[in-house]
Amino acid sequence: MLRAALPLLMLPLAAARAAEEPTQEPGVPGESPPGLALFRWQWHEVEAPYLVALWILVASLAKIVFHLSRKVTSLVPESCLLILLGLVLGGIVLAVAKKAEYQLEPGTFFLFLLPPIVLDSGYFMPSRLFFDNLGAILTYAVVGTLWNAFTTGAALWGLQQAGLVASRVQAGLLDFLLFGSLISAVDPVAVLAVFEEVHVNETLFIIVFGESLLNDAVTVVLYKVCNSFVEMGSANVRATDYLKGVASLFVVSLGGAAVGLVFAFLLALTTRFTKRVRIIEPLLVFLLAYAAYLTAEMASLSAILAVTMCGLGCKKYVEANISHKSRTAVKYTMKTLASCAETVIFMLLGISAVDSSKWAWDSGLVLGTLIFILFFRALGVVLQTWVLNQFRLVPLDKIDQVVMSYGGLRGAVAFALVILLDRTKVPAKDYFVATTIVVVFFTVIVQGLTIKPLVKWLKVKRSEHHKPTLNQELHEHTFDHILAAVEDVVGHHGYHYWRDRWEQFDKKYLSQLLMRRSAYRIRDQIWDVYYRLNIRDAISFVDQGGHVLSSTGLTLPSMPSRNSVAETSVTNLLRESGSGACLDLQVIDTVRSGRDREDAAMHHLLSGGLYKPRRRYKASCSHHFISEDAQERQDKEVFQQNMKRRLESFKSTKHNICLTKNKPRPHKAGHKKKDGMASVEAINKKPRDLGFQDTAAVILTVESEEEEESNSSETEKEDDEGIIFVARATSEVLQEGKISGSLELCPSPRVIPPSPTCAEKELPWKSGHGDLAVYVSSETTKIVPVDMQMGWNQSISSLESLASPPCTQDPTLTRLPPRQLDVDEPPALLDLSSDPRPTFAFPPSLAKAGRSRSESSADIPQQQELQPLMGHKDRTHLSPGTANSHWCIHFNRGGRL
Amino acid sequence: MGRCGGDRQAEHLPTRWPQLLDPGTLEAVVLTMGSKQTVFTREQLEEYQDCTFFTRKEIMRLFYRYQDLAPQLVPLDYTGCPAVKVPYELIGSMPELKDNPFRQRIAQVFSDDGDGHMTLDNFLDMFSVMSEMAPRDLKAYYAFKIYDFNNDDYICAWDLEQTVTRLTRGELSAEEVSLVCEKVLDEADSDHDGRLSLEDFRNMILRAPDFLSTFHIRI
Repeated sequence: MLRAALPLLMLPLAAARAAEEPTQEPGVPGESPPGLALFRWQWHEVEAPYLVALWILVASLAKIVFHLSRKVTSLVPESCLLILLGLVLGGIVLAVAKKAEYQLEPGTFFLFLLPPIVLDSGYFMPSRLFFDNLGAILTYAVVGTLWNAFTTGAALWGLQQAGLVASRVQAGLLDFLLFGSLISAVDPVAVLAVFEEVHVNETLFIIVFGESLLNDAVTVVLYKVCNSFVEMGSANVRATDYLKGVASLFVVSLGGAAVGLVFAFLLALTTRFTKRVRIIEPLLVFLLAYAAYLTAEMASLSAILAVTMCGLGCKKYVEANISHKSRTAVKYTMKTLASCAETVIFMLLGISAVDSSKWAWDSGLVLGTLIFILFFRALGVVLQTWVLNQFRLVPLDKIDQVVMSYGGLRGAVAFALVILLDRTKVPAKDYFVATTIVVVFFTVIVQGLTIKPLVKWLKVKRSEHHKPTLNQELHEHTFDHILAAVEDVVGHHGYHYWRDRWEQFDKKYLSQLLMRRSAYRIRDQIWDVYYRLNIRDAISFVDQGGHVLSSTGLTLPSMPSRNSVAETSVTNLLRESGSGACLDLQVIDTVRSGRDREDAAMHHLLSGGLYKPRRRYKASCSHHFISEDAQERQDKEVFQQNMKRRLESFKSTKHNICLTKNKPRPHKAGHKKKDGMASVEAINKKPRDLGFQDTAAVILTVESEEEEESNSSETEKEDDEGIIFVARATSEVLQEGKISGSLELCPSPRVIPPSPTCAEKELPWKSGHGDLAVYVSSETTKIVPVDMQMGWNQSISSLESLASPPCTQDPTLTRLPPRQLDVDEPPALLDLSSDPRPTFAFPPSLAKAGRSRSESSADIPQQQELQPLMGHKDRTHLSPGTANSHWCIHFNRGGRL
Repeated sequence: MGRCGGDRQAEHLPTRWPQLLDPGTLEAVVLTMGSKQTVFTREQLEEYQDCTFFTRKEIMRLFYRYQDLAPQLVPLDYTGCPAVKVPYELIGSMPELKDNPFRQRIAQVFSDDGDGHMTLDNFLDMFSVMSEMAPRDLKAYYAFKIYDFNNDDYICAWDLEQTVTRLTRGELSAEEVSLVCEKVLDEADSDHDGRLSLEDFRNMILRAPDFLSTFHIRI
């Protein structure tokens, strides 16, 4: 995807560059002699894209260098460093080439550099937060920008009238208003670059950032209106033109938003049908979003608004439709492109400032502008907040207002707009350029540098990284409904009313239309959150698992080093987790990548479990067959029944395990005597040495006992295993290690998880360490074989079913296994009892089975690619104790069922 | 005091209600067909003000909304404290509420005997809790009550299952619902008794400060 998209960005960019600097670098040897040349230097053919690539490379390298020192980047925002680097590079270029090159061209900026940043921010915008504060955002964006533009322009004109601006600045009121309109808009790129490092609370961030995105429409309109007024000359402007100006504000903003929404709709609809061509899913996202931008630009509507709305509108449906891997690809590519564009923008901004031929200095104008934009921004914020607080549920306090005023950063948009001015029509252009450069540099460097200490000093409420809980999700939904209901009763059509209406509309029509049937079915938010939380718990348990392992004194030869590696990455991850909506451009560069891998790993571990795969199964297998409702219900019934059986049969096993486990504590074992013959036997064996052969013997008893106990329910039990297998086979996991893990389920004799909370018990991933058990067992034969044996016994039937590939393909087979297995089972068990150490033969065959299955399901290629990574990650976290809790799962579930 | 009279008043409420308070007597009055009609006595209004978080104006506004729910049942004269209840059927059948999964539960919680029929006092109570002025603990208490479907003063798994089923509108299977509930219980259950007491609930809900900060509406 990246490869597909980057040329998209670069080629036109290159073309633009090639057009602008055709005479550069005469590096070509003049006339090559006719005949066959051994070596030809074709600089001209590659010059433009080469230079573009080179610049991006330089910017990226610079970023790496900046981040080598944590101290520097924690104090100085990256945007400042990039601007300074740009200044230095510009100076070098100027010194070498004797003229300023590689400046920030408005065309390049608007067509290629800005869209990725806006798309990124629109797509990853936390939509709920955004719409919760939409009123405030719109007020600041529209009223605030108008206010800033007019007051700044008028005040500068007044300054000139007062004689404080040198007379060589030839500008009238209209010129100053034009300048005011371009300098007044808060810049999304600069705001994002600075605020993402400050971490103020979400509300504050979304207000400042949302304002910077939405004020684009106002800026564009103001700029265009003023520009045409200036070009017409103030004498020719009629009253109707003013009216047209006002009308164009609505046309541009609403038109831009409409274009964005139309493309969002198209995008969502298209991704609904990409099931068979997953590979182009990410491309579609970028293409259609970019098409929205260009369309809006073409119709001279607000392109930024279009892309923002497109990203905002399509996200829910697109995310539901595209595959997991495409989601990752979209996210990475978007972040990469945005970060890349941002870097280049700031660097080019620095380079452009060096070109002294473009600007002319006037201290009065520069100082006046700086003071006015700061002052009027603050004044505007205070006035608007006062009005807004009359209506806001959670008022914005003084500190928020300070940050909002101070966070009004200007950036590349203003610079590009001022460069676009026509010198013949606006004689004071050079002065305006100089002033804009100073303003941009001042806001980005000085304010960017100081805003962090200011936030700290004012004790602004930072964004809290509290762990999102399922409760939160649940209550949020409930409260929404309650509030909507109360609003309905009182007949007051407030915010909740509209949200409720929208949700109903979305559920009834939009989601039905735009989401894949399968995606729509599984996509329930609460379930989503539950699923995500399970992954999180899985991660934290893995973290914990390391400790469990060491605390029980089971230290494996190679364990410590692996452990430490795993722990650092996992703790990193935990620290990092909890950021709900991520607008951070940098986030991928730092911890995310690691986290994503871990996430994916956990994801797979989880889906190895029992319950989720049922859903996955429905979703992913629709490729091969369409499962009917009746079929599903049937499956479910069988499944639930099996859980019950399983529980019963397992109870006995568990007791036996406890017995073997509790050897040092005879009283407990005695207490359990009533459980049956096997327990007695186990107790008898208690004093004996726990050598390998002995444990094997114990196990055999246990096994036979289990068989007796579950005799009556033999078929159901087998059926159960069969079902589970199908679920797994079609689940995303499909890797040998995983399967062997879930099959082996080795209950540990010693370890009981430190805090066996319900959540942990539910986690299927605990079973995912089976492959580790195999691995470990070869090293520490003393203890683990017990587990292995148990796992073997319990999963023998699953193994049987695993070996029969048809199950994956044919859904009807889910009900067939019982019969099939009835036949197969007894020999297998006999085999087992005759073989003293079956475990060591087990993994290869299992692996084979797993492989054949994963190959048979072509639907799930992405998961397989991640497997190597997982397998090796998992191994580091092995804790034999974990399997125990896996069985607890069955126990609990069965109890409820 | 026909139906159309009530409707008309409701429509013009926002602009009209300043006239509803007679500045001379501080009694709440209404102009109907040209004649003055006392709705609440001064004492009644003051009492309502004490018991709720509303101003007189808001009380009057809510009263008219209440009256508008069932114009034929609710008299415009409340000086005699008539024992009038708006039956749940009227509230629940409002078209806007048709899709709301909690409409019945809310009415039940705020009604006197849990049957969903609401008196004016109940009605005012309901909005009083939603008001910005209501303390968090009160909000948490009523939220808790809404969750507690079987009224045993604990949120148990069954209560949560009700909630989740309503929220997901039957999208989840019974099994998934119970899994989710288990997780929810587990998250908030600090004393590990398998159910949530009011204390558990409050702790959990106050831990995330944005929760209750958004749990109000402006009347």
